[in-house]
Amino acid sequence: MIHTIVYGFTIGAILYFITIGLSLTFGMMRVINFAHTLTYTIGVYMLVSLGALFKGYFVIAAMIAVVVVIPISYLIERFIIRRLYGESLDHTFIATFAIALIGVDTIKWIWGVRPYPLSDPIGEYLMIWGLTLPIYRIVIVMIAILLFIGLELFFRKSIVGKIVVAALEDKDGVGCLGIDVDHYFSIVFMMGSALAALGGVLYAPISSVHPYMGLSILLLCFAVVIVGGMGNLRGTFVSALALGMVMAVTARYWSQGAETMVFIVMAIVLIFRPIDI
Amino acid sequence: MVDLISTQDLTKRFDGLVAVNQVNFSLQEGQVAGIIGPNGSGKTTLFNLLSGFFPPSAGRITFCGKDITKIPPHKRVEMGMARTFQLVSVFDSLTVWENLVLSTIRFKRDQQSVQSFFFAPARKRIVVDDCLKSLESVGLEKKASARTSELSYGEKRMLEIAIGLSLKPRVLLLDEPLSGLSDHEIGGVLDLIHRVRENFALVIIEHKISKIVSVVKKLSVMNEGKILCEGDPEKVLRDPAVRECYWGKEEENCST
Repeated sequence: MIHTIVYGFTIGAILYFITIGLSLTFGMMRVINFAHTLTYTIGVYMLVSLGALFKGYFVIAAMIAVVVVIPISYLIERFIIRRLYGESLDHTFIATFAIALIGVDTIKWIWGVRPYPLSDPIGEYLMIWGLTLPIYRIVIVMIAILLFIGLELFFRKSIVGKIVVAALEDKDGVGCLGIDVDHYFSIVFMMGSALAALGGVLYAPISSVHPYMGLSILLLCFAVVIVGGMGNLRGTFVSALALGMVMAVTARYWSQGAETMVFIVMAIVLIFRPIDI
Repeated sequence: MVDLISTQDLTKRFDGLVAVNQVNFSLQEGQVAGIIGPNGSGKTTLFNLLSGFFPPSAGRITFCGKDITKIPPHKRVEMGMARTFQLVSVFDSLTVWENLVLSTIRFKRDQQSVQSFFFAPARKRIVVDDCLKSLESVGLEKKASARTSELSYGEKRMLEIAIGLSLKPRVLLLDEPLSGLSDHEIGGVLDLIHRVRENFALVIIEHKISKIVSVVKKLSVMNEGKILCEGDPEKVLRDPAVRECYWGKEEENCST
C-alpha cells in the first residue's frame, strides 16, 4: 500500500506541475488552453535530444529543456492566444486544440512516432521499514511541495503575484489601475508553460515518451482544474494530489478503471459544486 | 481652449440595439459634469466607451486633443482618465492597503518599487505616503490592514473612490457612486466630492438627481442612447423634454 501511496503522490505531483498553467490561463483570461500540453510534450522531446547530448547529466538536460520551452510559449501566447482574449470559449477551444494537433504532427515530423525509452535518472531505492521505494519518485513529490511553497510566496509576497491575484478576481478592474494585464498574463503564461515542461521532463523517465503523451494527459489535467477550482492555486495542489491518489488506489485494484475513476470524482464534484464557464 | 474630453458622433451598437447614438459630449479641464437618464439610456455604455472597455461602432474620442479612440483602458488611465464602476469594483482577495498599493506602483516606474520584485519594500518605503493620503481622504486609514471582503458596501465604495484618487487623474468618471449607500454614507461621498472637485474634472452618472445638482456645473440628460439636453443643471431640469423623459406626459398634464 505504501508503494501505491508514493505512486499516487508522484502522479499527483506531475498533474500539479502541468495544471498550474491551465488553471491560471482560464482564471485570468478565460481561455481553455489545449495547446498547454504541447509545451509539456516539447519539454519532454527537448529532454530526449539534450539527454543524448549531455549523457549522464539529467539535471542539466532537464533544466535546458524547460528553459527552451519559455520562448516557444511566448510565441504561442503573443501570436495566437492573445488574439483569443474575449472570444467565446468554443473559439478558444477550437483554436488551441488546432495548435495542439499541429504541434503533435510537427513533433512526429522532427522526432518520429516511435516511443523513446528513458530510464530513471537516479536509479536507486530507499529502504525503509522493509520497503523499497524509488528515490526518484520521492524527489518528484518533494519538488512539487517546494514548488507549492514557492508559488504561495510568489503570489503573496511579490508585486507580480499580487497583480495576478487581482486579475484572477477582476481583470477589467486591474486595467482600471493603469496596469497592462496582458503583459502580466504573458509572464504567467510562460511560467505555466515552463512548469508544464518541468512536469513533462520529470514524468518522462517513469512513463513512455510519444507524440501523443500531451493529449493523453490533457483530460486528466482539466479534471484537476475543475475539481480544484479554476484559478485556485491551493485548490489545484490539493486536487492534483487527491486525484493522483484516486488513480493510484483504483489502479491497484482495477487498473483499467484508474482514469475513469478520476472523471467519476470530477462528475460528483460538478454535481455538488457546478462551475460557471 | 482644448476640451479635456470630447466625443464626436460616438456610437455603440450591440447587434440591433443602438446603446449610444451619435453622442457629442465635451468636458473642460476642472469641470464637474453630471449625466442622468432613465435605466438603459446608455449612460454606463458611454462611460465604457470613454474608458476604453468597449470599442465604439462609430465616432471618435479625444483626450486633451489627442485621439484615444483605439487606445486600451490602461493607457487611458496613464493619460489621466480614472473611473469607478456601477457595481463597486475592488479586490476582495487583497487587503485595503494592497488595493491602494497596486494603484500606486505604476507611478513609481523609475523608482525602486518596480525594480523590487517583492511587495514588502514598496509597502514600507516607496508608496506609503501616497496610499495613506488616499485612505485618509476617505476615512479608511484605520482599516488599511483589513481584508477588503470584510468591508461594508459603503466602505468598499469609498475604497474604490480612494483608488481613483490615488491614480492622480485629470478626470475621474464616477458611475453611480451613491447607489446602494445609506443616507449617512451618501453624505460622506458627497462631502468627498466637494473636497476633491477643485483638483480635477469629474463626470458623475447618478440616478439620485437631487443629490448631485448642487455639485455639478453641467448636466447632460441621456435618453435612448442620445443626449436629450445639456447645460446648466437648473435649466436642464426645467426643460419640458427632460421632465417628460423622467415623469412622462402625466407630469406635463398636471402642470398645465
